[in-house]
Amino acid sequence: MIEPFAVPFMGRALTEIALLALVCGPVSVFVFVRRLSFVSDALTHTVFPGVVVGFVAGGMDGLFTGALVAGVLTAVVLTVLTRSARLTDDAATAVVLTAMFSIGVILVSRRTSYTSDLTAFLFGRLLTVTPRQIAETAVLAAVILVALALGGRALMFRAFDPAGAAAAGLRIGWLDLWLNILLALVVVAAVRAVGTILVVALLIVPAAAARMVTDRLVPMAVIGTGLVLAAGYSGLLLSWTASLRYGIALTSASAVVLMLVLAYVLLLPLRRWRDRAFTGRTSPHELVG
Amino acid sequence: MTTAALRLAGVSVGYSGTPVVTGVDLELGAGQRLALVGPNGAGKSTVIRSVLGLAQILDGTATVLDRTPARARALTGYVPQTGNLDPDFPVSVRQVVMMGRYRQLGWWRPARATDRRAVTEALDRVGLADRAGHRFGLLSGGQRQRVLLARAIAAQPRLLLLDEPFNGVDAVSQEAIVRVLRELSADGTALVLSTHDLAVARDLADLVCLINGRQWAVGPPGETLTAGPLRQTYGSSAIDLADGRMVLVDP
Repeated sequence: MIEPFAVPFMGRALTEIALLALVCGPVSVFVFVRRLSFVSDALTHTVFPGVVVGFVAGGMDGLFTGALVAGVLTAVVLTVLTRSARLTDDAATAVVLTAMFSIGVILVSRRTSYTSDLTAFLFGRLLTVTPRQIAETAVLAAVILVALALGGRALMFRAFDPAGAAAAGLRIGWLDLWLNILLALVVVAAVRAVGTILVVALLIVPAAAARMVTDRLVPMAVIGTGLVLAAGYSGLLLSWTASLRYGIALTSASAVVLMLVLAYVLLLPLRRWRDRAFTGRTSPHELVG
Repeated sequence: MTTAALRLAGVSVGYSGTPVVTGVDLELGAGQRLALVGPNGAGKSTVIRSVLGLAQILDGTATVLDRTPARARALTGYVPQTGNLDPDFPVSVRQVVMMGRYRQLGWWRPARATDRRAVTEALDRVGLADRAGHRFGLLSGGQRQRVLLARAIAAQPRLLLLDEPFNGVDAVSQEAIVRVLRELSADGTALVLSTHDLAVARDLADLVCLINGRQWAVGPPGETLTAGPLRQTYGSSAIDLADGRMVLVDP
């Protein structure tokens, strides 16, 4: 079974997924508790024009820079728009999302290699990950984890009780910007390997699936990371087997995301069962008042 | 002269330059208990938020423990309304109370024995030490309110502000909260709580401030919770009973 990963490109793909798993577990916990699924979705779409511009200007290296600039810019714009409260969070996010994504599509449609470029940007090229890309992902992962460790306590307080956090002297606006930029960095780290569309699954599904198993924050992050690792391993294996043994072309990144979603679906009944087990134990006293 | 816990002199408070409550004039000493009384939407929460430095002071001067409200935050505690918190949030009772220690802990220093002791003592004080490991959202409304009170106590504030602490709270929890509040004020902590429950205000407060868009009266409950000021504050919702007491309909 280990054999496929002895092939260098498969080994590199697995390493890349493992690095992403390290950040996506903890970051997705914040996405979950802040209910930022839609913001994450928007970020993945707004990075898209940056990716296109970067690629046109400087190839794969330019793509990285383009994604970084677009991601951080969106994080700032989204924070400001949702802070001003003139628009509801959803409306502001949707406006930014659609506007930026259409700009991306217009830009990419001007290229002759339109279809293949679009596929690469949207769904990534997990199997062509280079050692240099892995190094860049590792650096970004380290930055994200350090930023999360530094701000985690304040970010969690703000997520749970914004009024209480503000009363305790925390600056809510800055914390929101902090988290949005972290999300953007995850998107940038993952975009070349899994594409702008599929990365959203890595930001949302790990914690949402882990929540079925536990209602503690740290175990949620650890289980989330474990799930991405397991999905990465089994997804790569699946796409390898499908294409080599059965001649079915199954994009590797899609297979990974598919396995992650499968884990979510499989864990769903567990949550129901846990809820029922708890309700059975609840005394009337706890349900009153 | 001793330091007043809270001094509001001709204060108007609001948001984005628009006043919500005007003409607030009061002074609260250490260990005193102030009730902000008024109908829903009267601006009670805005006054509390202004004392925390989170709503604008548009006019007059507000002094909290001889400082501006924003600078006094390290000395003030706040108990928000439980109803605004997500019951599904994956956080334990102990973790919630530990949030009260974050200011002492700073951004990343791990909790020490003193912090853990403060958390346990605070939970003990509100009678929920046995629930420390439970998920916050699984407790009843009253118990959640007590956990939030424990969180504020764990920070050892000198001025504690509570926003409608008895809303949706069962009798057992209300009794526990009232007992803890009395103990705190006996230890010298000044208290400000908003309520639309006149009985609670009469029972608990040394000082009552009647608010509805402006301050209508301030003074001991015996002087303020009477027919004249209440009718001014509540309008036609205040009804005289034959024995000289007042009731509020649809406050």
